[in-house]
Amino acid sequence: MRVVHLAFLPILLTAGMARAQDYLSCQLAPGWTQSEAIHSYTADNLYDYKDGGAEGYLIYGFAGMKSLNCKSGDNTLTIDISEMSDADAAYGIFATNSDPRLPIAKIGMGGQVQPQSASFAKGKYYVEIVVNSADPNTIHTAELTALVNRMARRIEGRETPPEALAWFPQENLTSAGLVPQSVLGLKELKRGYVAKYKQGQAFIVLEDSPESAAAVMKELRERFDGAIDAKVGDEAFQDKAQYLDGICIFRKGRALAGYADLPTAQEAATQAAKLATRIP
Amino acid sequence: MKSGSEWGPFMNAKTSRRDFLSAGLMLPVVGAGSSLGLMNLSAQTPAGNTASPLKLSYKTLGKTGLKVTSVGMGCMITSDPSVVTHAADLGITYFDTARGYQHGNNERMVGAALGSKRKQVVLSTKTEARDKAGSLAQLDTSLSELKTDFVDIWYLHGKSSPADIHDDMIEALQLAKQQGKARFVGVSTHSNQPQLIPWMVQKGVFDVVLSAFNFSMDPAVEQAIDAAAKAGMGVVAMKVMAGGSRNQKLAQPGALLAALKWVTNHPSVATTVPSMTDMDQLEQNVKAMEGPLTADDHKILAAHLEQIRPLYCRMCGKCEGTCAQGLPVADVLRFLTYADGYGEFALGRERYLQMASEHVSARCGDCAECTVQCPYGVQVSRRMACAQELFA
Repeated sequence: MRVVHLAFLPILLTAGMARAQDYLSCQLAPGWTQSEAIHSYTADNLYDYKDGGAEGYLIYGFAGMKSLNCKSGDNTLTIDISEMSDADAAYGIFATNSDPRLPIAKIGMGGQVQPQSASFAKGKYYVEIVVNSADPNTIHTAELTALVNRMARRIEGRETPPEALAWFPQENLTSAGLVPQSVLGLKELKRGYVAKYKQGQAFIVLEDSPESAAAVMKELRERFDGAIDAKVGDEAFQDKAQYLDGICIFRKGRALAGYADLPTAQEAATQAAKLATRIP
Repeated sequence: MKSGSEWGPFMNAKTSRRDFLSAGLMLPVVGAGSSLGLMNLSAQTPAGNTASPLKLSYKTLGKTGLKVTSVGMGCMITSDPSVVTHAADLGITYFDTARGYQHGNNERMVGAALGSKRKQVVLSTKTEARDKAGSLAQLDTSLSELKTDFVDIWYLHGKSSPADIHDDMIEALQLAKQQGKARFVGVSTHSNQPQLIPWMVQKGVFDVVLSAFNFSMDPAVEQAIDAAAKAGMGVVAMKVMAGGSRNQKLAQPGALLAALKWVTNHPSVATTVPSMTDMDQLEQNVKAMEGPLTADDHKILAAHLEQIRPLYCRMCGKCEGTCAQGLPVADVLRFLTYADGYGEFALGRERYLQMASEHVSARCGDCAECTVQCPYGVQVSRRMACAQELFA
């Protein structure tokens, strides 16, 4: 049966993988020349390249990676471009791998440039660049900034972060991204956006419909025996839980959202109420 | 106990392994340098409710003497620290991370999650640096991020050949031990274990090996792991679910737990590092320590193996040189798996067309009878013909 389906695959997959390859060129970095053939990786052989870290790509819907090595004197430059399942997933893996202590730059949907490495996400592509210098203290920030901007212009796709990230209150926000499974470590919250604050964390999970969100809400409520009702959104509860501390989870339409890791359940409910007003 | 016939052809073809597993059922405690004990522990759910008592099994990690729960925690894709904290509270004593996971963010999360429990657990991390200075610099960063003065085990990350391990990397490992930054050292490996692990044993400088190992792998991997354990090397197993939790290959109820139990009950394996992202997964995995592999577990795993047997090459290499047309059989089967196992037609075709031209143009239909006999029952000629039809 699978072989029959394969008849449809060549057009779709060849196009996708060829595009990632089109975005790769050492010529985008003046002074660098290609040192070897482009390598291709899939879920099957990504371990050969990324070792155990491969799992971190797979949970974000990894579809394939092209890797290019460039050379300039004794220095090497490696550019990896990964195709993820969608733009949200690409932003998700970027955010997970980015340094939360550094700002997110406007490169594609978001990017970071450090002295010897850079990364950004645009559309469904996630790009990582690493310089290996003969002198490890060499600063390549300007060169990398120019390179990622050139690449970002070539790559097609969305240039704005996931819309839901803008719904999180921005005050005291330290980082925000997409968790691909088990938000807050709870299996009921399958995939969602998480914002970390100086104190506590907030989340938003979008279900397909208000009905399915209500069903998940019911399951969540059953998990927290000590929960009491809270007045947030369409329905809500709050609790003081062993591992999630002060927590409040609410439903607003098809969105499940809330706050956790705050000192008290009441504080979580107060913050949740603010979040609820920002969710359309 | 179920009979061999009920377990299907795979088990008939793997009599030695069946016998081995049967022995494991009767003697779960045996193994080179390993011991196992059970401990009852009252656990709490995330919401603070008292759950039923858990039974934890402990083994000794080879000559390191470290006592570890047979189910450890692979933290690599865990996003919420509460899961790590809960694992420590449940009594899990082995936690694994790496400098490269989430570009260092994973170590920071694990360090924060373990907090004051750090000294109650065995903590391991890894370096992917390829020279002494780089490795040692990464170790210092790891210690800082993990908020600890030392790690219990420090691995060279993802090596698949002795040639990948240079002398200066070994010097880095030894120096880290001398400086008290790592109590024990080892290597993690995803492939080529039959070559790498015996070399590690012979080298005599590695305390632990962290290896991909599960019920679906070639017996040569198991032999290498047995030899390592016999030599006193601590064995930690990863990829214990055979990719099941990620892609639902082991969708049958109880299959993931059976796969984990297969490894935790293996006498040569001290602990395992399944990835866990939520509380339920964690509590489910802990149950793997509750008892031996049952006949039902065997049946589930055998059924899964039977399902994949005709399709997927185990890369054992036994078909090498046996094709009358000289085709690299294992390679062609792998290229086909890229396409129909992973949906990567383009890559499969790309690799296929990179073969020598006489191999690209060869057709299995030209042979009256296939000379290749797969010991695992892969339908070689049918699969090869499929690859030729798709790619050539």
